[in-house]
Amino acid sequence: MGYLRAVSPFLGAIVLAFVMQFGVAPMFGAYYQKLLIDIGINIVLAVSLNLVNGFAGQFSIGHAAFMAVGGYAAGAITYYGSFHVFGDALVHHGQGDVLFLAATLVGGCVAAVAGWVVGLPSLRLKGDYLAIVTLGFGEIVRVLLQLTDDVMFKRADIEAASVGTLALALGGALGFGGLPFYTSIVWTYFFAFTLLVIAVRLKTSGEGRAFLSVRENEIAASAMGIDTTRYKVRAFVLAAFFAGIAGSLFAHEIGTTLNPRELGFQKSFDIVIMVVLGGMGSISGAVLAAIVLTLLPEFLREAASYRMIIYALLLISMMILRPQGLFGVREVWELYRRPKVSRPQVRPPGSLP
Amino acid sequence: MAKLLQTLFDGVAVGSLYALIALGYTMVYGILQFINFAHSDIFMTGAWIAFVIAKAAGWAGGDTPIWASLVTLLGSMIFCGLLGFVIERLAYRPLRGAPRLNVLITAIGVSLFLENTGQLEVLFGTQPQRMPTLLSSEPLFRIGGVGLPLVDVVVVLVAVGLMLLLQWLVFSTRLGRAMRAVSFSIPVASLMGVNVDRVVSFTFVVGSALAAAAGFLYAMKYPGLNQPAHSTWILLGLKCFVAAVVGGIGNVRGAMLGGLLIGCVEMFGAAYLSTSLRDVYVFSILILVLLFKPTGLLGKATVEKV
Amino acid sequence: MSEPLLDVSGLSLAFGGLKAVTDFSLKLHKGELQALIGPNGAGKTTIFNLLTGVYRPQQGEVRLGGRLLNGLPTHKIAASGMARTFQNIRLFGDLTVLDNVRIACHLRARAGLFSALLRTPAHVAEEAAIREKAMALLEVFSLADRHAELSRNLPYGDQRRLEIARALGTEPKVLLLDEPAAGMNPQEKVALSELITLVRHRFGVTVLLIEHDMALVMKICERITVIDHGVTIASGSPLEVQGNPAVIEAYLGAPSAEGH
Ligand SMILES: Nc1ncnc2c1ncn2[C@@H]1O[C@H](COP(=O)(O)OP(=O)(O)O)[C@@H](O)[C@H]1O
Ligand SMILES: [Mg+2]
Repeated sequence: MGYLRAVSPFLGAIVLAFVMQFGVAPMFGAYYQKLLIDIGINIVLAVSLNLVNGFAGQFSIGHAAFMAVGGYAAGAITYYGSFHVFGDALVHHGQGDVLFLAATLVGGCVAAVAGWVVGLPSLRLKGDYLAIVTLGFGEIVRVLLQLTDDVMFKRADIEAASVGTLALALGGALGFGGLPFYTSIVWTYFFAFTLLVIAVRLKTSGEGRAFLSVRENEIAASAMGIDTTRYKVRAFVLAAFFAGIAGSLFAHEIGTTLNPRELGFQKSFDIVIMVVLGGMGSISGAVLAAIVLTLLPEFLREAASYRMIIYALLLISMMILRPQGLFGVREVWELYRRPKVSRPQVRPPGSLP
Repeated sequence: MAKLLQTLFDGVAVGSLYALIALGYTMVYGILQFINFAHSDIFMTGAWIAFVIAKAAGWAGGDTPIWASLVTLLGSMIFCGLLGFVIERLAYRPLRGAPRLNVLITAIGVSLFLENTGQLEVLFGTQPQRMPTLLSSEPLFRIGGVGLPLVDVVVVLVAVGLMLLLQWLVFSTRLGRAMRAVSFSIPVASLMGVNVDRVVSFTFVVGSALAAAAGFLYAMKYPGLNQPAHSTWILLGLKCFVAAVVGGIGNVRGAMLGGLLIGCVEMFGAAYLSTSLRDVYVFSILILVLLFKPTGLLGKATVEKV
Repeated sequence: MSEPLLDVSGLSLAFGGLKAVTDFSLKLHKGELQALIGPNGAGKTTIFNLLTGVYRPQQGEVRLGGRLLNGLPTHKIAASGMARTFQNIRLFGDLTVLDNVRIACHLRARAGLFSALLRTPAHVAEEAAIREKAMALLEVFSLADRHAELSRNLPYGDQRRLEIARALGTEPKVLLLDEPAAGMNPQEKVALSELITLVRHRFGVTVLLIEHDMALVMKICERITVIDHGVTIASGSPLEVQGNPAVIEAYLGAPSAEGH
């Protein structure tokens, strides 16, 4: 009974993912189906970054770097793995999907390790300093990826090459072309819904509240026995893991090329914007912001060269007019039971009554 | 030996440009504690305005009078100073005291706005352009077999001159004292009768004008101007921000030190190790410095009072 | 007498040239309620920061139940049984009143991250127990009916009491209260002093209290230590301290002692 309760939301995630593929997607054309995948990937990115920026209150603006790490790791595995298994890098449903799943999980783990490596030393830094270090890390990743060797595409060469050689043959500045297109709506939303279950369960448990306490007041949190460094690192690692997964989804998506330039600081900024627009710490807000901000540029496509100008102006006015984001820190489902707010009566400490 | 000198000259020239831009970041950070991501776009605008002025005046080639450079420089500084003023007024002031991430995102918004507005055909367009040569790149004189072109000399002289001017402004004038008061604490400064809004406006004007000067000098030294939304501009800006952080953010002298350090590290790394890793050197220095001295080289550590 | 529960000896800390605390010693026996008083800026809060590991002592020792705490990080000190409140209130402002206390209760929880993500039966049971414990604490502080409010929206006096409730959530052996009555009106102060006495007996905690209100301190404390400029100038029962000329001088020399 208890165990059913433990896994049922995850089963629900699988079911919903299939509903998205076979119930929702057929209502749209190919163009919108790709948008649906983009939305799903952005949901994974925004909700995972929200664990760091929104839950633990750490200021990371290098999320795309973890996406790149995971994407490249997973891409290398499916691409070169496919040559070893199938003799080519085409999509082979069934076995190939298993390879893709394994590659995606490995990609997530590699990104998580990167998250740990970056997180552990840099979490000594606070606020903007941490931000600038995460950004610097992202730039280093980008440059290093740009320096990798050309992708190999001859079966004989690949089978003869060592793992080390293959791990460096990632396409350099031109990007990692030729990856098989495994990313489907099912896969995308399976990961998106799984992450949502995890995020919600985290937020409503003692462990999750420990993250939030770090955000709210680090000194008080540690005085209450919370090991703040540990929770910050956890947030970083968990978020990096899912960023890596999103990277793999992105890498194997039709119509995208895994390219270091695509995954630079601009992409990181895009994700931060989703988190802040959704309201720091609000999971549903992050989801909604991911949807809106994926669709918005599409709707503005008509406006051609004015598109990004309008986007920029919307962003600025949003920050000025609704600084707390769409829902503030709350969730959609909490909106109706607005806690009754008594007048704050904060006197400065020490002032006499 | 010649290579060493050449690299040193390049490092100092680029480093002083970085320092000029870093000053804008550091002044805004010192006063409002936020990373003004749009600062790199002011720098970009400064370079492009210089291009527009020089183009409109038809200046080009070796026989251009020296005052043409001066006019271009001042025109660009004035324009960007005004731009900085307007941006602070419209975008940042309403957010004074808002959470940091909000201000950061507003700055990103302003940055996107400037880049994409700049790309409009009526303004700078979407194509790279070549800055007309206002200053000769013929070697002015030679030291140890290395030619020193007029451009480099002007870059360093103007940068150093402006920094000295700023130093004087911040440490020896009433306004400078007000700036330091505001950066110490906005509420305290306003209780002491400092007009905080004016000081903040002034900071943006000065910082933006310095960035414009750097833009002009940059365009002189590297005449191939990328289009406004090209990522080189932001990357340059980031390096300058890194310079400010490495030197100790909020610290005017730190920005100068950081700029020179980053410029030299980049140039020496590129010359002696590998050119393609130059950005890696810069960001590695950043991470190293912050890990060992989290407030930057000249920054003072502050302990949060509990 | 038996071994003291909290044994502090020779504690010193200087901020640059400023000697904030010099050679501070204190013995706190189980179940006692002692007060730490002294003019504004005397170094009282700094002593709390030293005890809880927010600052590292430059000299001296802190022992809790015989265990040396020096150099341990704050969260380990909390785990070993020392909890505190803050003079400048540090609640988790954007979280509810209940969540503030539940976070403190998390210290004694055992289920980890994975059981939280899997919602194992053990985790579910523990969450329920924590909620119950937190609500019971809020009940004691008459905050139970406001448990769903964001803590930053509470009135000032309630915020101070919530800080105490939260500290108790960690099941401390020693509770450090930093000016819990600051900014309260006389009735609130009386209620608070009764509450402190009640809490002390109900939860069996040993209390060290920083407070400026002499009447309050005299009424409820067994022993008082007076410090000035970081130096202990008197220590003893309320009556002994009251008549001590050094104490009178310290206070007369600092008429603004009512401040923070
Ligand atoms: N982090 C710090 N850095 C520098 N000085 C400090 C710091 N914390 C406290 N002080 C100084 O130490 C002295 C004692 O402060 P405190 O312990 O807060 O006094 P109080 O007895 O009023 O609680 C004061 O002079 C205060 O300014
Ligand atoms: Mg105090």
